[in-house]
Amino acid sequence: MRILLAAATAMACAAPLWAEGDHGLTIPSLTAEVTPEAGLEAWDRLHEVFTHPRCINCHVGEEAVPLWTTTHGANPGETRPHGMNIHGGDSRVGAEYIDCGTCHVTSTRPNTTPGAPPHAGLDWQLAPLEFQWTGKTPAEICAQVRDPERNGGRDGAGLIEHITHDAEVAGFITWGFTPGAGREPAPGSLQSHLDDTAAWVAAGMPCPGDPLPASAPTEASE
Amino acid sequence: MELSVNGTSYSLDVEEDMPLLWALRDELGITGPKYGCGIAQCGACTVHIDGQAVRSCQMPVGDIGNAEITTIEGLGTPEAMHAVQQAWVDHQVAQCGYCQSGQIMQAAAFLETHPEPSDEDIDRAMSSNLCRCGTYPRIRAAVKTAAAKLQGA
Repeated sequence: MRILLAAATAMACAAPLWAEGDHGLTIPSLTAEVTPEAGLEAWDRLHEVFTHPRCINCHVGEEAVPLWTTTHGANPGETRPHGMNIHGGDSRVGAEYIDCGTCHVTSTRPNTTPGAPPHAGLDWQLAPLEFQWTGKTPAEICAQVRDPERNGGRDGAGLIEHITHDAEVAGFITWGFTPGAGREPAPGSLQSHLDDTAAWVAAGMPCPGDPLPASAPTEASE
Repeated sequence: MELSVNGTSYSLDVEEDMPLLWALRDELGITGPKYGCGIAQCGACTVHIDGQAVRSCQMPVGDIGNAEITTIEGLGTPEAMHAVQQAWVDHQVAQCGYCQSGQIMQAAAFLETHPEPSDEDIDRAMSSNLCRCGTYPRIRAAVKTAAAKLQGA
Protein backbone atom coordinates (compact mmCIF):
# COMPACT_ATOMS: atom_id res chain seq x y z
CA MET A 1 0.00 0.00 0.00
CA ARG A 2 1.65 3.14 -0.87
CA ILE A 3 2.29 1.29 1.76
CA LEU A 4 0.67 2.58 4.88
CA LEU A 5 0.06 2.93 8.55
CA ALA A 6 0.42 5.85 10.93
CA ALA A 7 1.49 7.20 14.24
CA ALA A 8 -1.54 9.26 13.91
CA THR A 9 -0.81 11.92 16.36
CA ALA A 10 2.77 12.77 15.70
CA MET A 11 2.49 13.83 12.08
CA ALA A 12 -0.76 15.68 12.30
CA CYS A 13 -0.75 19.31 13.29
CA ALA A 14 2.38 21.25 13.81
CA ALA A 15 4.66 18.47 14.91
CA PRO A 16 8.18 19.40 13.93
CA LEU A 17 10.46 16.72 12.59
CA TRP A 18 9.63 13.06 12.83
CA ALA A 19 11.63 11.38 15.58
CA GLU A 20 13.53 8.89 13.49
CA GLY A 21 13.95 5.50 15.16
CA ASP A 22 10.94 5.93 17.41
CA HIS A 23 7.94 4.07 16.04
CA GLY A 24 5.75 4.80 19.06
CA LEU A 25 3.70 1.65 18.52
CA THR A 26 2.67 -1.11 20.86
CA ILE A 27 3.82 -4.40 19.38
CA PRO A 28 1.04 -6.97 19.55
CA SER A 29 1.57 -10.68 20.08
CA LEU A 30 1.82 -12.95 17.09
CA THR A 31 1.08 -16.02 19.16
CA ALA A 32 -2.28 -14.98 20.59
CA GLU A 33 -5.21 -17.36 20.17
CA VAL A 34 -7.10 -15.97 17.18
CA THR A 35 -9.79 -17.99 15.44
CA PRO A 36 -9.85 -18.19 11.65
CA GLU A 37 -13.11 -16.26 11.70
CA ALA A 38 -11.54 -13.44 13.71
CA GLY A 39 -8.52 -13.61 11.41
CA LEU A 40 -10.75 -13.15 8.37
CA GLU A 41 -12.43 -10.19 10.05
CA ALA A 42 -8.99 -8.68 10.59
CA TRP A 43 -8.19 -9.36 6.94
CA ASP A 44 -11.34 -7.51 5.87
CA ARG A 45 -10.11 -4.44 7.75
CA LEU A 46 -6.64 -4.80 6.24
CA HIS A 47 -8.22 -5.03 2.78
CA GLU A 48 -10.18 -1.88 3.46
CA VAL A 49 -6.89 -0.12 4.18
CA PHE A 50 -5.01 -1.62 1.24
CA THR A 51 -7.68 -0.58 -1.24
CA HIS A 52 -8.13 2.91 0.15
CA PRO A 53 -6.90 5.56 -2.32
CA ARG A 54 -4.05 6.56 0.02
CA CYS A 55 -2.64 3.06 -0.49
CA ILE A 56 -3.81 1.50 -3.72
CA ASN A 57 -3.19 4.56 -5.90
CA CYS A 58 0.50 3.69 -6.10
CA HIS A 59 0.02 -0.10 -6.19
CA VAL A 60 -0.67 -0.08 -9.92
CA GLY A 61 0.30 -2.56 -12.60
CA GLU A 62 2.64 -2.60 -15.58
CA GLU A 63 1.12 0.58 -16.97
CA ALA A 64 3.07 2.32 -14.18
CA VAL A 65 0.71 5.29 -14.13
CA PRO A 66 -0.13 6.26 -10.55
CA LEU A 67 -3.69 7.23 -9.70
CA TRP A 68 -5.13 10.36 -8.23
CA THR A 69 -8.24 10.53 -6.11
CA THR A 70 -9.40 14.08 -5.98
CA THR A 71 -10.01 15.82 -2.68
CA HIS A 72 -11.31 19.11 -4.01
CA GLY A 73 -13.03 20.27 -7.18
CA ALA A 74 -16.26 19.31 -8.85
CA ASN A 75 -16.04 15.57 -8.20
CA PRO A 76 -14.30 14.92 -4.89
CA GLY A 77 -13.50 11.25 -4.49
CA GLU A 78 -13.13 10.65 -8.22
CA THR A 79 -10.12 8.49 -9.15
CA ARG A 80 -8.26 9.08 -12.38
CA PRO A 81 -4.74 8.75 -13.77
CA HIS A 82 -2.13 11.03 -12.20
CA GLY A 83 -2.04 14.32 -14.04
CA MET A 84 0.93 15.75 -15.94
CA ASN A 85 1.44 12.65 -18.13
CA ILE A 86 3.33 11.02 -15.27
CA HIS A 87 4.76 7.56 -15.90
CA GLY A 88 6.69 5.61 -13.29
CA GLY A 89 8.55 3.54 -15.88
CA ASP A 90 10.09 0.13 -15.24
CA SER A 91 12.10 1.77 -12.46
CA ARG A 92 8.82 2.52 -10.64
CA VAL A 93 10.38 5.82 -9.51
CA GLY A 94 10.02 7.68 -12.79
CA ALA A 95 13.73 7.57 -13.56
CA GLU A 96 13.02 7.06 -17.27
CA TYR A 97 11.19 10.38 -17.58
CA ILE A 98 10.73 12.51 -14.49
CA ASP A 99 11.62 11.29 -11.03
CA CYS A 100 8.78 11.10 -8.53
CA GLY A 101 11.15 13.02 -6.25
CA THR A 102 11.12 16.06 -8.52
CA CYS A 103 7.80 17.05 -6.96
CA HIS A 104 7.33 14.57 -4.08
CA VAL A 105 10.33 15.62 -2.04
CA THR A 106 11.63 13.38 0.73
CA SER A 107 10.85 15.00 4.06
CA THR A 108 9.53 13.99 7.46
CA ARG A 109 7.82 17.33 7.92
CA PRO A 110 4.02 17.31 8.10
CA ASN A 111 2.01 17.64 4.89
CA THR A 112 0.18 20.91 5.33
CA THR A 113 -0.36 22.52 1.92
CA PRO A 114 -3.61 21.66 0.12
CA GLY A 115 -3.01 20.69 -3.49
CA ALA A 116 0.71 20.19 -3.05
CA PRO A 117 2.28 16.83 -3.81
CA PRO A 118 2.44 14.73 -0.64
CA HIS A 119 5.78 13.74 0.81
CA ALA A 120 7.09 11.18 3.26
CA GLY A 121 10.35 10.22 4.89
CA LEU A 122 11.09 7.74 2.10
CA ASP A 123 11.78 8.54 -1.55
CA TRP A 124 8.42 8.59 -3.32
CA GLN A 125 7.84 5.64 -5.65
CA LEU A 126 5.34 3.17 -7.03
CA ALA A 127 5.05 -0.08 -5.15
CA PRO A 128 6.93 -2.95 -6.83
CA LEU A 129 5.01 -4.58 -9.65
CA GLU A 130 4.49 -7.82 -7.70
CA PHE A 131 2.59 -5.72 -5.15
CA GLN A 132 -0.01 -4.63 -7.70
CA TRP A 133 -3.41 -4.36 -6.04
CA THR A 134 -5.45 -2.57 -8.69
CA GLY A 135 -7.89 -4.87 -10.45
CA LYS A 136 -7.44 -7.66 -7.89
CA THR A 137 -10.05 -9.37 -5.75
CA PRO A 138 -9.70 -9.43 -1.96
CA ALA A 139 -8.68 -13.10 -2.16
CA GLU A 140 -6.00 -12.30 -4.74
CA ILE A 141 -4.56 -9.45 -2.69
CA CYS A 142 -4.63 -11.62 0.42
CA ALA A 143 -2.76 -14.39 -1.37
CA GLN A 144 -0.14 -11.84 -2.44
CA VAL A 145 0.34 -10.42 1.02
CA ARG A 146 0.92 -13.80 2.67
CA ASP A 147 3.24 -15.05 -0.08
CA PRO A 148 6.91 -14.20 0.63
CA GLU A 149 7.56 -14.48 -3.11
CA ARG A 150 5.23 -11.53 -3.64
CA ASN A 151 5.46 -9.54 -0.42
CA GLY A 152 9.13 -8.70 -0.29
CA GLY A 153 10.23 -11.94 1.34
CA ARG A 154 8.34 -11.34 4.58
CA ASP A 155 6.90 -13.85 7.00
CA GLY A 156 4.43 -12.78 9.69
CA ALA A 157 7.09 -11.20 11.85
CA GLY A 158 8.49 -9.52 8.74
CA LEU A 159 5.11 -7.93 8.02
CA ILE A 160 5.04 -6.51 11.55
CA GLU A 161 8.59 -5.23 11.20
CA HIS A 162 7.64 -3.67 7.87
CA ILE A 163 5.07 -1.56 9.67
CA THR A 164 7.19 -0.60 12.66
CA HIS A 165 10.13 0.30 10.44
CA ASP A 166 7.85 2.44 8.32
CA ALA A 167 6.76 4.28 11.45
CA GLU A 168 10.39 4.88 12.39
CA VAL A 169 11.14 6.57 9.07
CA ALA A 170 7.75 8.27 8.54
CA GLY A 171 7.25 6.16 5.44
CA PHE A 172 4.31 5.56 3.16
CA ILE A 173 2.25 3.40 5.51
CA THR A 174 2.53 6.07 8.17
CA TRP A 175 1.67 8.76 5.65
CA GLY A 176 -1.45 6.86 4.55
CA PHE A 177 -3.04 7.34 7.96
CA THR A 178 -1.92 10.95 8.33
CA PRO A 179 -1.83 12.30 4.77
CA GLY A 180 -2.62 15.85 5.85
CA ALA A 181 -3.61 18.79 3.66
CA GLY A 182 -7.28 17.81 3.50
CA ARG A 183 -6.74 14.31 2.15
CA GLU A 184 -8.92 11.54 3.54
CA PRO A 185 -6.76 9.19 5.61
CA ALA A 186 -6.90 5.44 5.33
CA PRO A 187 -9.42 3.94 7.78
CA GLY A 188 -8.25 3.37 11.34
CA SER A 189 -4.82 4.20 12.65
CA LEU A 190 -1.33 2.87 12.29
CA GLN A 191 -1.75 1.08 15.61
CA SER A 192 -5.06 -0.53 14.61
CA HIS A 193 -3.49 -1.58 11.31
CA LEU A 194 -0.61 -3.13 13.18
CA ASP A 195 -3.04 -4.88 15.53
CA ASP A 196 -5.09 -6.23 12.61
CA THR A 197 -1.95 -7.45 10.88
CA ALA A 198 -0.86 -9.26 14.03
CA ALA A 199 -4.30 -10.82 14.52
CA TRP A 200 -4.36 -11.98 10.90
CA VAL A 201 -0.87 -13.45 11.22
CA ALA A 202 -1.72 -15.14 14.54
CA ALA A 203 -4.79 -16.70 12.91
CA GLY A 204 -2.57 -18.26 10.26
CA MET A 205 -3.06 -15.60 7.56
CA PRO A 206 -6.48 -16.81 6.43
CA CYS A 207 -7.76 -15.57 3.09
CA PRO A 208 -11.29 -15.39 1.68
CA GLY A 209 -12.10 -18.66 -0.06
CA ASP A 210 -9.62 -20.73 1.93
CA PRO A 211 -10.97 -24.16 2.86
CA LEU A 212 -12.41 -23.96 6.33
CA PRO A 213 -10.36 -25.79 8.94
CA ALA A 214 -11.88 -28.97 10.27
CA SER A 215 -14.01 -28.18 13.32
CA ALA A 216 -12.98 -29.57 16.64
CA PRO A 217 -15.28 -32.41 17.57
CA THR A 218 -17.95 -31.46 20.06
CA GLU A 219 -19.37 -33.61 22.85
CA ALA A 220 -22.66 -33.83 21.04
CA SER A 221 -21.03 -35.29 17.94
CA GLU A 222 -18.94 -37.81 19.77
CA MET B 1 22.00 27.46 8.15
CA GLU B 2 24.35 27.07 5.22
CA LEU B 3 23.26 26.65 1.62
CA SER B 4 25.51 26.03 -1.34
CA VAL B 5 24.08 27.63 -4.46
CA ASN B 6 25.85 27.75 -7.81
CA GLY B 7 29.16 27.02 -6.13
CA THR B 8 28.85 29.75 -3.52
CA SER B 9 28.19 29.10 0.14
CA TYR B 10 25.57 31.28 1.83
CA SER B 11 24.64 31.67 5.46
CA LEU B 12 20.93 32.21 6.13
CA ASP B 13 18.89 32.86 9.24
CA VAL B 14 15.52 31.41 8.20
CA GLU B 15 12.97 28.88 9.41
CA GLU B 16 13.85 25.32 8.44
CA ASP B 17 10.51 24.77 6.75
CA MET B 18 10.91 27.78 4.45
CA PRO B 19 10.62 26.58 0.85
CA LEU B 20 13.89 26.79 -1.04
CA LEU B 21 12.27 29.05 -3.64
CA TRP B 22 11.56 31.67 -0.97
CA ALA B 23 15.11 31.45 0.33
CA LEU B 24 16.58 31.82 -3.15
CA ARG B 25 14.44 34.72 -4.26
CA ASP B 26 13.74 36.68 -1.08
CA GLU B 27 16.83 35.97 0.99
CA LEU B 28 19.57 35.52 -1.60
CA GLY B 29 18.22 37.61 -4.47
CA ILE B 30 18.57 34.71 -6.92
CA THR B 31 15.48 35.32 -9.02
CA GLY B 32 15.95 33.00 -11.99
CA PRO B 33 13.66 30.38 -10.43
CA LYS B 34 10.12 31.72 -10.72
CA TYR B 35 7.08 31.51 -8.47
CA GLY B 36 4.20 30.09 -10.48
CA CYS B 37 1.84 28.07 -8.32
CA GLY B 38 3.63 27.26 -5.08
CA ILE B 39 2.39 23.64 -5.11
CA ALA B 40 4.60 21.92 -7.72
CA GLN B 41 1.92 22.04 -10.37
CA CYS B 42 3.71 24.22 -12.92
CA GLY B 43 7.49 23.69 -12.78
CA ALA B 44 8.50 27.35 -13.02
CA CYS B 45 10.58 27.06 -9.84
CA THR B 46 12.66 24.07 -10.96
CA VAL B 47 16.29 23.95 -9.79
CA HIS B 48 18.82 21.14 -9.48
CA ILE B 49 19.72 19.60 -6.15
CA ASP B 50 22.78 17.42 -6.62
CA GLY B 51 21.87 17.28 -10.29
CA GLN B 52 18.26 16.21 -9.91
CA ALA B 53 15.46 18.49 -11.01
CA VAL B 54 13.43 19.55 -7.98
CA ARG B 55 10.52 21.95 -7.58
CA SER B 56 12.06 24.44 -5.20
CA CYS B 57 8.65 25.59 -3.95
CA GLN B 58 8.27 22.18 -2.28
CA MET B 59 11.74 21.77 -0.83
CA PRO B 60 12.15 22.84 2.81
CA VAL B 61 15.56 24.45 3.17
CA GLY B 62 16.09 22.48 6.38
CA ASP B 63 16.03 19.22 4.42
CA ILE B 64 18.72 20.14 1.89
CA GLY B 65 21.77 19.62 4.06
CA ASN B 66 25.05 19.83 2.18
CA ALA B 67 23.59 19.18 -1.25
CA GLU B 68 24.63 21.49 -4.08
CA ILE B 69 21.88 23.67 -5.49
CA THR B 70 22.08 24.87 -9.07
CA THR B 71 19.76 27.50 -10.48
CA ILE B 72 19.49 28.79 -14.03
CA GLU B 73 22.10 31.40 -13.07
CA GLY B 74 24.60 28.61 -12.45
CA LEU B 75 23.80 26.44 -15.47
CA GLY B 76 25.67 28.51 -18.00
CA THR B 77 26.74 32.06 -18.75
CA PRO B 78 25.93 34.37 -21.66
CA GLU B 79 29.43 33.69 -22.90
CA ALA B 80 29.32 29.93 -22.36
CA MET B 81 25.73 28.79 -22.46
CA HIS B 82 24.61 25.28 -21.57
CA ALA B 83 23.53 23.30 -24.64
CA VAL B 84 19.90 23.57 -23.58
CA GLN B 85 20.16 27.34 -23.19
CA GLN B 86 21.77 27.64 -26.62
CA ALA B 87 19.05 25.46 -28.16
CA TRP B 88 16.45 27.73 -26.50
CA VAL B 89 18.00 30.68 -28.30
CA ASP B 90 18.40 28.84 -31.57
CA HIS B 91 14.75 27.77 -31.61
CA GLN B 92 13.52 31.04 -30.13
CA VAL B 93 11.48 28.97 -27.72
CA ALA B 94 10.41 31.65 -25.29
CA GLN B 95 7.32 33.72 -25.88
CA CYS B 96 6.63 35.47 -22.57
CA GLY B 97 9.55 33.52 -21.03
CA TYR B 98 8.18 33.18 -17.54
CA CYS B 99 8.42 29.39 -17.52
CA GLN B 100 11.67 29.00 -19.39
CA SER B 101 13.99 28.92 -16.39
CA GLY B 102 12.12 25.90 -15.07
CA GLN B 103 11.80 24.34 -18.52
CA ILE B 104 15.53 24.63 -19.16
CA MET B 105 16.48 23.25 -15.75
CA GLN B 106 14.10 20.32 -16.19
CA ALA B 107 15.45 19.59 -19.69
CA ALA B 108 19.09 19.88 -18.61
CA ALA B 109 18.63 17.40 -15.77
CA PHE B 110 16.71 15.03 -18.02
CA LEU B 111 19.40 15.03 -20.73
CA GLU B 112 22.09 14.22 -18.18
CA THR B 113 20.58 10.77 -17.78
CA HIS B 114 18.76 10.40 -21.12
CA PRO B 115 21.18 11.43 -23.86
CA GLU B 116 19.09 10.14 -26.78
CA PRO B 117 15.45 10.74 -25.89
CA SER B 118 12.55 10.01 -28.22
CA ASP B 119 9.75 12.51 -28.69
CA GLU B 120 7.65 10.46 -26.27
CA ASP B 121 10.44 10.50 -23.70
CA ILE B 122 10.70 14.28 -24.00
CA ASP B 123 6.96 14.76 -23.73
CA ARG B 124 6.79 12.63 -20.61
CA ALA B 125 9.79 14.32 -19.03
CA MET B 126 8.57 17.83 -19.78
CA SER B 127 4.80 17.43 -19.30
CA SER B 128 4.79 18.75 -15.76
CA ASN B 129 6.45 22.01 -16.81
CA LEU B 130 3.61 24.18 -18.01
CA CYS B 131 3.88 26.86 -20.68
CA ARG B 132 0.80 29.05 -20.86
CA CYS B 133 1.99 30.48 -24.18
CA GLY B 134 1.84 26.97 -25.65
CA THR B 135 5.38 26.77 -26.96
CA TYR B 136 5.51 23.01 -26.48
CA PRO B 137 6.50 22.15 -30.09
CA ARG B 138 9.48 24.51 -29.83
CA ILE B 139 10.38 23.11 -26.39
CA ARG B 140 10.44 19.57 -27.81
CA ALA B 141 12.53 20.67 -30.81
CA ALA B 142 15.00 22.53 -28.59
CA VAL B 143 15.43 19.54 -26.28
CA LYS B 144 16.16 17.33 -29.30
CA THR B 145 18.69 19.84 -30.60
CA ALA B 146 20.36 20.09 -27.20
CA ALA B 147 20.50 16.29 -26.94
CA ALA B 148 22.25 16.09 -30.31
CA LYS B 149 24.69 18.84 -29.33
CA LEU B 150 25.51 17.13 -26.04
CA GLN B 151 26.14 13.93 -28.02
CA GLY B 152 28.64 15.83 -30.14
CA ALA B 153 26.57 15.84 -33.33
